[in-house]
Amino acid sequence: MAPAPRVEAVTVGASLPPPLLRTFADRGCMPRQPKLPSTPTGYNVPVEGSLFEEAEFFRAIADSGARALLIGRRALIALGIPVLTADYDFWLHIDDIAAFNRAVEPMGLCPTHTPEEARARGRYVAENDERVDVLVARSVPTADGVRVAFEDVWPRRRGLAVAPGVVLPVPATPDLILTKRFGGRPKDLEDIRLLEALGREDGP
Amino acid sequence: MKPLETPSPEALARVRALSERRLTPEEFRAALAVPLGEAEEGESRSLIRWFRRRYPTPADRLAWARRAYRRWAAARPGPSSRQTTPS
Repeated sequence: MAPAPRVEAVTVGASLPPPLLRTFADRGCMPRQPKLPSTPTGYNVPVEGSLFEEAEFFRAIADSGARALLIGRRALIALGIPVLTADYDFWLHIDDIAAFNRAVEPMGLCPTHTPEEARARGRYVAENDERVDVLVARSVPTADGVRVAFEDVWPRRRGLAVAPGVVLPVPATPDLILTKRFGGRPKDLEDIRLLEALGREDGP
Repeated sequence: MKPLETPSPEALARVRALSERRLTPEEFRAALAVPLGEAEEGESRSLIRWFRRRYPTPADRLAWARRAYRRWAAARPGPSSRQTTPS
């Protein structure tokens, strides 16, 4: 069987409506999409989709050295809880925003704010047709008033192997429960109860 | 058999608003104080065991999540929007 053709990235410019184009240009980032070989072979018939490859996304973040913890429902799923989610949530060390952005830019993920703005706001989004919510606060209070510091959670993290040579850092289960207490919504409570069950399943 | 009726956009919006609303600190604290019941814990652990058995590695589970989301997005009524996603 012939190998699948290599897919390269090209910057999308002319195909974007002018307001969106200006928005991305202002951020110094352009969404990208696959450039397909000119002759469809069966492997490269054009389909709607993005350049996003999840394992490469995690690899790029790991290789960047950015201290980034996967939190939110995607972390629950990786640990073994079957819930549904559309986006990725990371808690990133406040000094590692630029490194993180450089790592995900080749996937066409454009930050909504500059690192300075993100530090001031405490969060930002990197997006194309994937959405990555990034929390950058040094510490965050839970809905019931407990302050959780990145510096405390990071050393207790656990690593999940998600591809050969790629380890994805996630908070320890008790810390992941604390991050779920940031939101204070009914659906966060449901996730907390599932995480409590997971914690008992895995034992101390 | 009667075909499944899709909830109206208004009904979906009401459910979403209930699920997304921010509880007061007191409401949240009270909800956290309710211990996990034996039956609920048993069901949750059974679900987790099944999922881990079916998808043994984190990579398998993450791949399942992307497939499941695509199926969910394809089945839901109205235009696709990440503003109205399940998480």
